[in-house]
Amino acid sequence: MPTLETEVLVVGGGSTGAGVARDAAMRGFATILVERGDLATGTTGRFHGLLHSGGRYAVKDPVAARECVVENPILRRTAADCIEDTGGLFVSTRWDDPGFGDDFLRGCQATGIPVEEVPVAEVLRREPRLDQGITRAFAVPDANLDPWKLVSACTRSATEYGARILPYHRVLGLEVSDDKVVGARVHNEVAGDELEIRAELVINAAGAWAGQIANLAGCVVTVLPGKGIMIAMNHRLVNTVINRCKPPSDGDIIVPIRTVSVIGTTDVRVSDPDELEVTPGEIDEMLDEGEKLVPGFREARALRVWAGARPLYTPDDVTDTRDVSRTHTVLDHAKRDGVEGFITITGGKTTTFRLMAEHAVDTACEKLGVNRRCRTHEEPLPGSEEERFYWLGARVRAQEPVPNSEEIICECELITRRQLTEAIARGRPAGLDDVRRRVRLAMGPCQGGFCIYRATGILHEFEHLDHQAANSALLDFLQERWKGVQPILHGDQLRQARLDDWIFQGLLAVEHLPE
Amino acid sequence: MTDARPRLADVGYDTVVIGAGLAGLTAALRLAEAGQRVAILAKGVGATHLAPPTIDVLGYANGPVDSPAQALPEFAAANPEHPYRQLSIELVRASLDWFKARLGDHGYRGGLDENFFVPTALGVAKPTALLPETMAAGDLREGGRFVFVGLRGLKDFFPAYLADNVAQTPLPGRASVTTRVVELAPPLGEARDVSSAGFARRFEQPAFRESVLTELRRNLVPGEIVGFPAVLGIGGAREVWRELETRLGHPVFEVPTLPPSVPGIRVYDTMTSALRRQGARLVIGSTVAGAETGNGRLEGVVAHTAGRPLTYRARSFVLATGGFASAGLELDSSGTVREPVFDLPVAGLPGQNAPLFEPGYFDEHALSRAGVAVDESRRPVDDEGAPVYENLHAAGATLAGAVPWREASGNGLSLASGYAAASAILEVIS
Repeated sequence: MPTLETEVLVVGGGSTGAGVARDAAMRGFATILVERGDLATGTTGRFHGLLHSGGRYAVKDPVAARECVVENPILRRTAADCIEDTGGLFVSTRWDDPGFGDDFLRGCQATGIPVEEVPVAEVLRREPRLDQGITRAFAVPDANLDPWKLVSACTRSATEYGARILPYHRVLGLEVSDDKVVGARVHNEVAGDELEIRAELVINAAGAWAGQIANLAGCVVTVLPGKGIMIAMNHRLVNTVINRCKPPSDGDIIVPIRTVSVIGTTDVRVSDPDELEVTPGEIDEMLDEGEKLVPGFREARALRVWAGARPLYTPDDVTDTRDVSRTHTVLDHAKRDGVEGFITITGGKTTTFRLMAEHAVDTACEKLGVNRRCRTHEEPLPGSEEERFYWLGARVRAQEPVPNSEEIICECELITRRQLTEAIARGRPAGLDDVRRRVRLAMGPCQGGFCIYRATGILHEFEHLDHQAANSALLDFLQERWKGVQPILHGDQLRQARLDDWIFQGLLAVEHLPE
Repeated sequence: MTDARPRLADVGYDTVVIGAGLAGLTAALRLAEAGQRVAILAKGVGATHLAPPTIDVLGYANGPVDSPAQALPEFAAANPEHPYRQLSIELVRASLDWFKARLGDHGYRGGLDENFFVPTALGVAKPTALLPETMAAGDLREGGRFVFVGLRGLKDFFPAYLADNVAQTPLPGRASVTTRVVELAPPLGEARDVSSAGFARRFEQPAFRESVLTELRRNLVPGEIVGFPAVLGIGGAREVWRELETRLGHPVFEVPTLPPSVPGIRVYDTMTSALRRQGARLVIGSTVAGAETGNGRLEGVVAHTAGRPLTYRARSFVLATGGFASAGLELDSSGTVREPVFDLPVAGLPGQNAPLFEPGYFDEHALSRAGVAVDESRRPVDDEGAPVYENLHAAGATLAGAVPWREASGNGLSLASGYAAASAILEVIS
């Protein structure tokens, strides 16, 4: 079995794992990261894309709120390219207790969240689609955060600092010798072979799957996966992050991000983070709640629905996952379970991923007996050096000077052939779904109706695929897309999907591709 | 509606057809040819602009179908709610003959007895009953050495991928097929991204053809059959295709591409020209959203146009608004399916609270067969099987019971049911 040696092995390629790998590499540790799928496909790639101001936690979870207050400006500085500075509003609708606004204001002031009450008329001028019956509104520095760009920038930086990032490598087992974790046995999910990675320290950053990884070393870590569903609605129904000004509940946030608006979310305790069913009742609830914020929400086009599993760590048994703090925990298993060489970082949320990584690597330094300072709060991520926020019009602006100077492969998201091949080359293996996350291929209203045939043709040519590999890339994509669209198919989006049926099944006869 | 001004369209028609896809155009043209005064009201152009120009009668029924004539009886028996159950083989055959005669300029070939197997843009050998002459040389059943031509700047056609699949496609009779690809860089000026319609316009220019011919000719080996994306002209397609065949000295055929469908636009243009010659009125851009009824009959339909609502009165009406893809059927967020023009009863739905979709993309989905059920006279019926209106007929993808995109039966059903709707109307009159 081929063997790799490293100082730090990070398990998990979400924002936490990517952040840990970058921080560890920046502090001079030889680092390897393994992720069972593509990067950012667990919880990170399945959240609503909200960079928290802390407002959501202001009343109920002041510890988590204060963390957001610290991290929000750090990310605005170091990850500007992944952030669109939409600002955020907390609004009291006619269904909400107007008195909560005072609690909210006090909570923000107590935790240090910059907050300002805004006249309702001003808010309605800024966001004319909001329900006209709102009674109060507070502005906070919420923003949107592109999870795929974030993780990609972190792993790029980590690589520049010498780390090795291994997506599609699943951990089969942890090697424990004399009560010390000394490495892991991993399976290359693409090539099909096994690999041994020997490490001085293993950092378990597997998020909602952290309990499963800890188990491999005989440690019991209770992570309650809290299922949250999200629906991407076509277009930007609002241009500011809109939160209901009330105690956190279901369907009370709309995040405008890129070309869509994401409504979320729910919080249901589930036993397996890989089994996240979306029920018709949950979808109905989202649409009803959306209607309260933006009248006509139900008639807007719902593009896609997905569910993510929050990693909620709890030392004791808790039944309502919403009552578990959104803050994070670093577990040194030597102290806790008598197992050396093994740390778990869990809990938390994407907004505080950098802080989580810092704490985990601080513990790693301690355990490895070195004192190296964290610099991730100072050094910008690749692409964010100029501290310029992402701007929605960027792709249009790039095309505008000379129209028709490049082939646009995905018209919904304005992706050129060159951008597509660069995205394919950025990480192999490159399935169409991986490429989708890298450049937002097929994330627009037609959900790949036109661009996916083209992207398959380009993938076939660019990667010299044989017909079988190209065909399974296409078929896998169609099935994965169906999973995300079928629970919310209605109205104009069903019309779109049926056109796609006519294209893929009628025109192209995709069901009868040769073996 | 309280509008006192005189209404321009209050003039009477013999038949008003709603929808300008293949079903609506077929019904309208037959009626106009029979001397009727016909108006076609349509929200926009129909699926002709999206779909290939082939008439697929039945392509797949537990695998590829070699002969629709042989497969149809068993298929209809196994699918009692399918529209083919009510459309006799003789009628389907008559509709194909009628279509071939009307589309004489396109040189349609084939019939009900044997399917052609022609490559899709993915390289699947897809069965179809009728095809225009510009596609005929693509029939893979006899095998041969095929060359697929790529055009730089056309992003809706990937000949290398297509060719790889064609080479692996199982064919009836174990025909032997070899494939290769020639990529051309035709003169596009500054443009890097040209649509299939844009290429079609360029192919109608002699200078553009000349450069394609020059570049291609030196890349061909005698005996090869040459496949182009279906962009060989719109109005002048026949001349373009003939010139390419003659001057290359090779059989040339077209492979349908992603929408817009250039060869489908040709079908639409030919049929609408014929309709105009017959004196029919074609109103594109009008949404029918209301009806005037009396004594179990439709008296008129109200069309929303750019100006104001207009009422079109007629003795008979044909609903050919298509399925969900054309908004001829609608599903709202609470799970209710509606036929939006006349609020007709929708058949083929699963029971209350039963899921409309299954988890696998290629599973059989309960919603797929939803639509309007009709009687022997092609009239939409209620739950008891009684016609909703004595003089309303339905055709095309609005009908319940089929999964045409999957069966490869779309244009066949539209043609046969449009033809049958016209027959039913003409029978009542005679």
